[in-house]
Amino acid sequence: MHVFGLEIKALGQILLVGLVLGAGLPVLFSVGIRAMAWGAGGDAETHPSGRAAAAPHPAGRVIGVLCFAVVLAAVALGITYVVASGFGKVLDFGHVFPTLVDKS
Amino acid sequence: MWRIVRGVTVAPVDAPTVILVLVVVVALSFDFTNGFHDTANAMATSIATHALPPKVAVALSGVLNLVGAFLSVEVALTVTNAVVKIQTTSGAPREDLLSGGGADLLTIVLAGLAGAIAWNLVTWLLGLPSSSSHALFGGLIGSTIAGLGWHGVNWVGDGSKIDGVLGKVVVPAIASPVVAGIVAAVGTWLVYRVVLGVAARYTDNHFRWGQIGSASLVSLAHGTNDAQKTMGVITLALIASGHWSSTTGIPFWVKLVCALAISLGTYLGGWRIIRTLGKGLVEIAPPQGLAAETSSAAVILVSSHLGFALSTTHVTTGSVLGTGIGKPGATVRWRVAGRMVLAWLITIPAAAVVGAVMEYIADGLGGGVLGAAVVTALLIALAGVIYARSRKNPVHAGNVNDEWDAPAPADERTPAGV
Repeated sequence: MHVFGLEIKALGQILLVGLVLGAGLPVLFSVGIRAMAWGAGGDAETHPSGRAAAAPHPAGRVIGVLCFAVVLAAVALGITYVVASGFGKVLDFGHVFPTLVDKS
Repeated sequence: MWRIVRGVTVAPVDAPTVILVLVVVVALSFDFTNGFHDTANAMATSIATHALPPKVAVALSGVLNLVGAFLSVEVALTVTNAVVKIQTTSGAPREDLLSGGGADLLTIVLAGLAGAIAWNLVTWLLGLPSSSSHALFGGLIGSTIAGLGWHGVNWVGDGSKIDGVLGKVVVPAIASPVVAGIVAAVGTWLVYRVVLGVAARYTDNHFRWGQIGSASLVSLAHGTNDAQKTMGVITLALIASGHWSSTTGIPFWVKLVCALAISLGTYLGGWRIIRTLGKGLVEIAPPQGLAAETSSAAVILVSSHLGFALSTTHVTTGSVLGTGIGKPGATVRWRVAGRMVLAWLITIPAAAVVGAVMEYIADGLGGGVLGAAVVTALLIALAGVIYARSRKNPVHAGNVNDEWDAPAPADERTPAGV
């Protein structure tokens, strides 16, 4: 049963981190899209046919780009992780900023 | 036996060497099937949503698998230890299996690989995604039972860590699609909420880019994870036959040929499986594709980080299913899902039966060159039959995205009973 506990623990961790990254990143990405659409104005957002299209909001583009930047950074971390593990290193998040350390 | 004659290495062609060559060739064939069986995992959703043209998608995935395979410097020599006891914990082959130049161990490995390939080919013909690692494990379990008896299988490990058939194969197989499915369902549901009110024409373009990025990550992770397994198996065979001695490194040529085999297989594209995963299970829209691939990439990377590697196939299939559940009003073809789950349930036993039969045949023929040659010949014959059958309703880059439920044009119908 000890092993069973280990499995539950591992799966729980995978689910938790999976939700943060696997669901969080697409959501952040879509927030970026939404912000970009708001920033673009016009026909990027749906609007009732009678009403005029929304005006562009420059702030929307800034928010959108920020969101995409965070997503890109996360993907870069993911690639770094894959590459690093091939060279016997792991990403360590112990110092807030991710650093590469030797695999124990 | 190797002899040094005036500085030139001369290898007389003895029985274990012939078997070794067969093992290497069959192992590379397995690697190749592993490639085309799993192209769908990374690229099915991108192909289905037209984020990438089919040919471009498989080429991208092939290149990333190649890169990934080369990145896996880590030695996966102990890959068989999870399920069978033919190696020591250091990765060296068990001493008692090395009599006669390692022929016993080589035959077990060969029969196991044959079982794995047979299962991969049959499921490909049926267009069913199934785990290549499970097929490999199943084949090895079967050939080990046939060769050494039931005690040769590592059923539950020693209880100190996650190990054995139950811990490393059965439990993850059940849990991983559920975990990936939950992540993808939550992601999909939230994504659709967030972009509510944004014109679809505007969002889809962006989502396609996100999809390409996340699918690429899955391809890369696949290359690093899966090519290693074949590298480990070939190196084990080389050690068993006395052609290699290090348990901390693998010969460069092994890495090269394994990387090439898996990426070539990926490039070939398992169109039948891509079709099932991209069109058959769920009708996928770009936001769902993004959510599914990101969920897969995250779950695969996190699990391998924890040393609890989950099957890429099970994870991606779970993600695709989850994304169908998460999108309000999406169609999920549960019949297709049911067929898949059934295939997963019988992957290990089916590959094991073929592996065991192959081992009995090889053993019955004396276990030497004849046995190994007959096993290889049987495998080639099976591959030929399956290939011939697949030609009757070919799936390729041109028709991979056709409507799932549309009837086939009359002139392309296969004649009944042939």
